[in-house]
Amino acid sequence: MLSMTLVDGSGPRNHDMGTTQSRADRDADFSAYMSARQPALYRTAYLLAGDHAGAEDLLQNAFAKLYLSWDRIRDPQALDGYVRRVMVNENNSLWRRAWKRREHATDPTSGTLPETSTHDDYDDGTGGALWSFVQTLSPKQRAVIVLRYYEQLSEAEIADVLGISPGTVKSQASRALAALRARAPHSLDPRGPGARESGDTR
Amino acid sequence: MNTTPLEDQVHDALHREAEQLQRAPLTVVDVRTRARRIQRRRAVAVGAAVAAVLAIAVPVGLSMTGPAQRSEIMPAPSPPAPVVTGTVRVDPRSAPVDGGPAVAMVNIDEGTLLRNGETFRLPEVYDSITPYRNGWLATVNVEGEQTVQVLDSEFRPLDGDRRPTTGLTVSADESRIAWAEYDGVRWVVVDRAADGSREDRRTELPPSSEEASVTTVGFVSDTEVLASRTDPSDYSLSTFVADGSGSADLPGILRPWAASSATGAVAGVTRVKGDGSSCSAVVDALAGTRQPLWSTCEHTLVSFSPDGARVVGFSSYLDANGSATLTLLDAATGEEVIDFDLIGPLDGITGIHEVAWEDDDSMLATLVSGQTQYVVRLGLDGTVERIDVDLSGVDPTLVPIKFATSQAGT
Repeated sequence: MLSMTLVDGSGPRNHDMGTTQSRADRDADFSAYMSARQPALYRTAYLLAGDHAGAEDLLQNAFAKLYLSWDRIRDPQALDGYVRRVMVNENNSLWRRAWKRREHATDPTSGTLPETSTHDDYDDGTGGALWSFVQTLSPKQRAVIVLRYYEQLSEAEIADVLGISPGTVKSQASRALAALRARAPHSLDPRGPGARESGDTR
Repeated sequence: MNTTPLEDQVHDALHREAEQLQRAPLTVVDVRTRARRIQRRRAVAVGAAVAAVLAIAVPVGLSMTGPAQRSEIMPAPSPPAPVVTGTVRVDPRSAPVDGGPAVAMVNIDEGTLLRNGETFRLPEVYDSITPYRNGWLATVNVEGEQTVQVLDSEFRPLDGDRRPTTGLTVSADESRIAWAEYDGVRWVVVDRAADGSREDRRTELPPSSEEASVTTVGFVSDTEVLASRTDPSDYSLSTFVADGSGSADLPGILRPWAASSATGAVAGVTRVKGDGSSCSAVVDALAGTRQPLWSTCEHTLVSFSPDGARVVGFSSYLDANGSATLTLLDAATGEEVIDFDLIGPLDGITGIHEVAWEDDDSMLATLVSGQTQYVVRLGLDGTVERIDVDLSGVDPTLVPIKFATSQAGT
């Protein structure tokens, strides 16, 4: 479960109260966590943001907030979840800033690949094409897709990360897959046109 | 035909895309530097937003913008100050210190309002606050949710309505206050006289969810308010003008930033490029054609001077650090007038969070240089002064000073 436990400065890492840990120890702990988890969390950031500059910005911001909250997160198992939550929320809100909004195909049914399209060496380009189409989804839908199919979180866990209900997660996933079906070439969709859109069967 | 279910194809595509990445570009120093710049309470930061607003104050990053407060003591008429052209170097560390800012500021760490040389202790931390009748009108932020509140002169609440809002917009002369509030069924744009001398102009928008939030941006005339509406399906914005009887769309502006009631001009983002940078334009909202007067992909246009003659340009790419550049442009032509060149320590990124005009010839800017927040006065005559703000005892990880009518969270 990704939910984190926040405590009011009385946790075992608390240094402000001068009870247990010095700033140096705290920084060492944080540095060790960063070293261990940065590559994996960077991958999630990249899938959310869609580019390296955006991924670095998301991850740096999330690590900074984690750093500020380090003494208040009691459960070490919750650290990744906290970083993910901050990245997702930040990406959603960044999207709300028009200047961060990505340009994408305006006709969702055109099947035109976005400019960022890459071709994959392993699957005749369909993987790269799908990745390109994922990037055209709204940030919330993309977050649901990334958390569901990359992080492989349950609907309840995704709901916890996004701060929405499991039902909304289900509907967002369904809409996202429907959008991908609409945008992707029919060759990517074994169900063909008019197929059932719910799809979240994993 | 690929017979693999789409869900499995998405799973595989994401893993292939991600697993080729082995990157760890950040250092702990990078993170600590960013941490020091996170300027708002966590509740605000997580809501991280950006609204649109403003007539005069413009925050970036995690805060929003709105008009700033000005001194109640109006300066004596004086001839316009000379306007320099070219580059002006801004180094807050060495700038001469001056007091007396004509723009009210809030210290969100201490919960104080700094106005006209006085410091008021606030009972709550208000995201924005402005004089209203004999008291105040403020927005309260609880876990990222803002509500409107009327206060008496001692900051005691006078009504319990507290409808959800996205922040205040105050006119340059502080005579008008606008905001959008959600009444449970629809968003309503409210345009109120600060002295209570007239009925509110209330523009009721079509019924919608609260998520389809509306944010006021500025004033385009004596009776019209510029605002934006969020499409909750993709979080895109649309821009419109409300006059109390109805609203009219202003197409082409993806994200409005500023309006001038003096000229009827609107500035906003018109295009966002793949690298995250953007193009902006100035549009005459009162003209029939509403075609851009001029546009630029070099700056994000964020604030008009009170007389509407000049517009502030930030970087074309903005992030939570704010803007690394500040340029003053001729609002009628787009010609660059003054480029304020920010000088900072070698180990720190300098970013401007907000600007607020004191009058037609000078503005204030909040910025972070190294580990320190500064407030500087930038004159069109090329003068640079540092405003003396006591930040002793403030948590160094916070950037506590914001202009009192800038917006936060939406």
